[in-house]
Amino acid sequence: MIGEMSRIVRTMTNIIFGFIVVFGFYVIAHGHLSPGGGFQGGAIVASAFALLLVTYGTEVIQQYIAKDLLSVIESTGLILFGSFGFLGISATYFYNIVANSGGLFGSPTVIGVNPGDLNTSGTIALMNIAVGLEVLAALGVIVLTMSAAAEIIQNKEKS
Amino acid sequence: MKKPIFILAFIFFAAFMFMAAIDMRPFGEPARSEMDDYFIENAQVQASSNNVVTSIVFDYRGFDTLGEGTVLFTAVIGIVALFREVAK
Amino acid sequence: MSPLVSFAHIAVLVTLVIAAFLAVTLRDLMSSVIALAAASLLLALEYYLLHAPDVAIAEAAIGAALSTAIYIFAVRATRR
Repeated sequence: MIGEMSRIVRTMTNIIFGFIVVFGFYVIAHGHLSPGGGFQGGAIVASAFALLLVTYGTEVIQQYIAKDLLSVIESTGLILFGSFGFLGISATYFYNIVANSGGLFGSPTVIGVNPGDLNTSGTIALMNIAVGLEVLAALGVIVLTMSAAAEIIQNKEKS
Repeated sequence: MKKPIFILAFIFFAAFMFMAAIDMRPFGEPARSEMDDYFIENAQVQASSNNVVTSIVFDYRGFDTLGEGTVLFTAVIGIVALFREVAK
Repeated sequence: MSPLVSFAHIAVLVTLVIAAFLAVTLRDLMSSVIALAAASLLLALEYYLLHAPDVAIAEAAIGAALSTAIYIFAVRATRR
């Protein structure tokens, strides 16, 4: 896509972009209570990036979203996910030791049918956030790279 | 020359698909197994998460999710390396 | 299963087959990509009807949004 699309598409994108991003982060943060999780929420946020790319073109978006920063976020998410598994290494790898301990995401879980509390479930919520960051950045890098390459090839064929 | 081969392959493929569709179990069977019951009973106590699917994905089958993240990472490395020549 | 849910299953699956057939047979590549996105969205609806909302969210986000965007970039970069 060379250049940007029409004014109608741009206006709708400006309105709807924030809602999509906020919904994606909601799905990531509530992964231990509601359907969804890190992978699904990250894919939703990355689809918002794809919407921006289709609407505004690659050259405008590359000034705001740096590909190198996304790569760093992706590696950080994967390393965080691996290291959260080591938190419970005293029992086994991936043992949930933060749950029911008091601190962050450590409130005691109510057993039985209940609406749920956001501040429960220990390492599961932390791993959701790590995987969400990783998937968001990975799919964002894929879409950004392919769009930039498509634009370069298009310019070469025109000249 | 190509067309009879395509038609023959299509007939074979469609026949196998129809055989599979006829032999399929009724909808929703088998209803349950011991593994499902175990997860539904104990997921909230052992993994302390209200969402059973998330507690399976991130606690019981955590290595699976680690592998999935690695696969995605490898895919990104491949795509960036593939399009580095184009961007030059 | 109530008759309304059965009817919903049949309607979604028949439309899914029609959309997949269109995605294969349409001559214009851009129309074919849009038909593929419609098939993916209907597949997400079918997953939701089968009580698998996790898979439905992933399918709707990746199949209907991201892969459609990537296919559109690829179609634009090649000669039609």
